[in-house]
Amino acid sequence: MFDDPDALTGTDRRHYADCADCQARYSGMADDARAATTLLATPELKLDVASAFQRVQTAPAAKLRFGFSIPILNPASRPMFAGLAAAAVVVALVVTAFANILPLFQPKTVQAVPVTVADLQALSALSDYGTLTWSQKPNAQVVLSAAEAQAVSGLHVPVVAKLPAGVSSTITYAAMPKAVAVFTFDASKAAAAAAQTGKSLPKLPAGIDGAKLTVTVGPAVIEVFGNLNANSTGNSQDINLPHVLIVAESAAPVVTSTQVTAKQLEDYILSLPGLSPQLAAAIKAIGDPSTTLPIPIPIDYATSSKVTVQGVQGVAVGDNTGLGAGVIWIKKGNVFVVAGPFKQSVVVDVANHLS
Amino acid sequence: MHLEATAEASTPFVKTRDEAFEALFKSEYARVAGIANRVLADPHEAEDVAQEVFINFHRLHSATAQFAPAWLHRAAAHTALNRLRGRKRRERRELAQAPEEASRALDPQRMLEVSEDRRMVRAALARMAPKPAAVLVLRAGGLSYAEVAQALGVGIGQIGTLLRRAEAALRKEVTRGTSI
Repeated sequence: MFDDPDALTGTDRRHYADCADCQARYSGMADDARAATTLLATPELKLDVASAFQRVQTAPAAKLRFGFSIPILNPASRPMFAGLAAAAVVVALVVTAFANILPLFQPKTVQAVPVTVADLQALSALSDYGTLTWSQKPNAQVVLSAAEAQAVSGLHVPVVAKLPAGVSSTITYAAMPKAVAVFTFDASKAAAAAAQTGKSLPKLPAGIDGAKLTVTVGPAVIEVFGNLNANSTGNSQDINLPHVLIVAESAAPVVTSTQVTAKQLEDYILSLPGLSPQLAAAIKAIGDPSTTLPIPIPIDYATSSKVTVQGVQGVAVGDNTGLGAGVIWIKKGNVFVVAGPFKQSVVVDVANHLS
Repeated sequence: MHLEATAEASTPFVKTRDEAFEALFKSEYARVAGIANRVLADPHEAEDVAQEVFINFHRLHSATAQFAPAWLHRAAAHTALNRLRGRKRRERRELAQAPEEASRALDPQRMLEVSEDRRMVRAALARMAPKPAAVLVLRAGGLSYAEVAQALGVGIGQIGTLLRRAEAALRKEVTRGTSI
């Protein structure tokens, strides 16, 4: 009423004219509004937008830690995804270890590997052992439609038959063409890192110095069902996870290498000092390493179980804190993920009805 | 809205990531800096906040995202309010550590008169709960009810009530500050 007097209907206006209570309340609110306007008044800003843009473009903070960003994650959900990102590093290492290289490693099924946060931290220092470069950087981008996501990724975008209750049908699409990372082992870096920590580094297998591992990930598409606007915020205090359903599809990772065999790499990684006996045992226990994609499950935070999804074996990941559940499976050479803040049964149901 | 991304990437109708970001920057920078300035009442710091917000956005999101303006507005309000709270803590610490120096700096009567009102308002904003404070500065920064609603992820029907309550709260906080 204060901001837009025309919004009053004729009936409201007639009532207001005769109602002393409403007049008194309006008077108080109008005083508050006028006071707030005066209190928050500031001198006009004189901006030089062009120079400001120059400064933003040259800001060192724009440099990304891992050389890429995932555009659809809002800052509020980052703490949860930071754990998953660390887990992804372990996947890269473990996949690498099992790569039945020459010809190719291409997983056809998934297997949970329990890890602890300490395992993740111990293994995440990839840069201590060599150099990671992207010959094709991950170029994830938010796109406007399923057709565009398909055009960018070349993948058919999964269709969800029925959304869980309470999830908005608004869809945000992200897509990524394939990305190729090359990891080059560097014996001198590994030795230097070991010397700094005071731990002795296991003896490097012959030929590992300078060996290159080429990991191809993607292409991939991600669909996020739900209202992201409500939760996209720069406020680090806001820890509410968005009420969204995430559906992702990616080509299974492919690994090739030079100079060293898979067996040598596996033995070497299993001998690293940071590896817990539990994780080492789990890695050894995987059935057919050349065709299995290990899914690291942080045992402090989540539990996993085998489930049948779309007629194949998958891994369901539940969260002990009640934050959410996810399911991951491989079908026809592609990895699928369905996840969200729901019960595991709901997530598995969505996954089974994906087309 | 459909775009043939690969086939038409070189046409002038499809912007590259950098071009889209530049267009977003030019259309929203003044409003983002304006929101921060409402909070901080300091043009230099407001521009600093605006640039931080754009850098963070560019790292995380595509400038073509539909939520881009709403994200920027909300981040501007929260980042500036966080700085205000940090500034308040810093000032308290500095006053406690160097009372003589602080009193010398505040000594000239004229400086006090000019800055006292603004200081009280910023202190009141810093004491307020984040949401009402954000509603106030977003609205004062020139956003419409619909834009404030989008930035805060609430229904547009709630904005009027939130704003009235926030205005009353600000007045009360300022009064409380003057009576201490």
